[in-house]
Amino acid sequence: MSAATTPRPTPATRIAGAWRSWWAPPVALGRIAVLRFVLYLFVVLDALEITTWPLGHGDVPAELYRPLLLRRLLHLPAPTEASVRVVLVVLVVSAVVAAVGRLPRAAGWVCALAYLAWTSNAFSYSKIDHDHVALLVALLVLPTVGAAREPFLRSEAAGWAVRCVQVAAVCTYFFAAMAKMRFGGWDWANGAIFTWAFSRRGSALTDALLAVPHLVVVMQWGVLAAEFLSPVMLWLRGRALAAAVGFWLVFHLGTYLTIKIHFLPTVVCLLAFAPLERLPQAWRTRRAGRGGGVSAPGAREVSSASERPRPANRPTP
Amino acid sequence: MIRRLPRAGLLWRSLVAVAFLALLLLGTLQGNDDRWPFAPMSQYAFAVHLDGEIRSTSIEAVTTAGVRTVVPLTPGGVGLRRAEVEGQLPRFVADPALLEAVAAAYARRHPGRPRYVRLELHQSVSRLVAGVVVGAPQDVVLAAWDVPDPQHPAGCCR
Repeated sequence: MSAATTPRPTPATRIAGAWRSWWAPPVALGRIAVLRFVLYLFVVLDALEITTWPLGHGDVPAELYRPLLLRRLLHLPAPTEASVRVVLVVLVVSAVVAAVGRLPRAAGWVCALAYLAWTSNAFSYSKIDHDHVALLVALLVLPTVGAAREPFLRSEAAGWAVRCVQVAAVCTYFFAAMAKMRFGGWDWANGAIFTWAFSRRGSALTDALLAVPHLVVVMQWGVLAAEFLSPVMLWLRGRALAAAVGFWLVFHLGTYLTIKIHFLPTVVCLLAFAPLERLPQAWRTRRAGRGGGVSAPGAREVSSASERPRPANRPTP
Repeated sequence: MIRRLPRAGLLWRSLVAVAFLALLLLGTLQGNDDRWPFAPMSQYAFAVHLDGEIRSTSIEAVTTAGVRTVVPLTPGGVGLRRAEVEGQLPRFVADPALLEAVAAAYARRHPGRPRYVRLELHQSVSRLVAGVVVGAPQDVVLAAWDVPDPQHPAGCCR
């Protein structure tokens, strides 16, 4: 920690140091490179396969357009058949360019703005989904890191971006619990919200769950407790953190199997909790191993990489 | 080796993060959907009374071919989802002529298919007793609209 260089840190410098190490912990740039690859490719998948209805809005008469405050402030017009196609092309092209690490700032900013235009269109017809906030945050912070060509170099700018995505994912859960208290109170957990959801979007599986007495109320309390406890994830490490992330993956799989709601835009952001920087390391080791004995420079490169003080093995930033 | 952030870089990043969190908190405590992305995370965030009811919305139409059909409230159908129709339910009830916009969206997306002559906004209402659905759902018509010029709903597709 930088405070160690001063002989007697004052309380102010100690707080500043703690603030810096929490909000901007040094994180290997390899994590940013992998996050970019996955998240920007997910944006392409999202626009073409998941959040596809903004394209359909181009055909909906403007009387049904109820623009969000954001779109009114930016004076964005009602989507048209042409405008939604232009936004889609810009979104996909910029996401592909950013996914491979080219023009990380320019392509990243264009992609973030196009995604904002796309999602704000999606939610400007009187229905909001709250699963896109973490991904939107990720797209807004990833360009600030700049190039991530040296995967083992640890950077505080990278740490801030990763931390923001983690906080945004946790906010999606924690603030969802607060919204449940605001709009439903404790009746939310004691009531029939799951029965309501299951009967509107039901299947054979939901019928089986509804047949077990009191099961839905137990599930409702479980969800509420998990959402309220979600900020703990920001301080967990190692296996405990992996277990928490695993819990949310199972939860989202469950909502998908029962009511066809997957929350994938939030799920991919949980990757920010994973030590993704190990992937470039493993990849290099494997590549060198395959060419072992043939390519001496490659082998030397790997050994020098593995002689580093192994920052990549830290489970969290 | 660690690449540090200069103090100015850390300062603006801190301000952005704190401002974003403050707006998100404000939206959760007293905001509404209009402020997205600073809106309450309100999906499934309302209480359903154990002895309440469950309403599910649909739009039915009679086509120029004389067939009664369920309007596909999907991105590929009319470009509008069921939840979006439910979000604007009071508008459709107050002004049934708005249903003609749905007919126009369908005509634009499916120019070769029979147009809608009449549209009806339906809700199926299921009753809950102690958290369990009882009896068959009841069908309620909330609004209906006869399209004056079915070939050109809302003046479209000329």
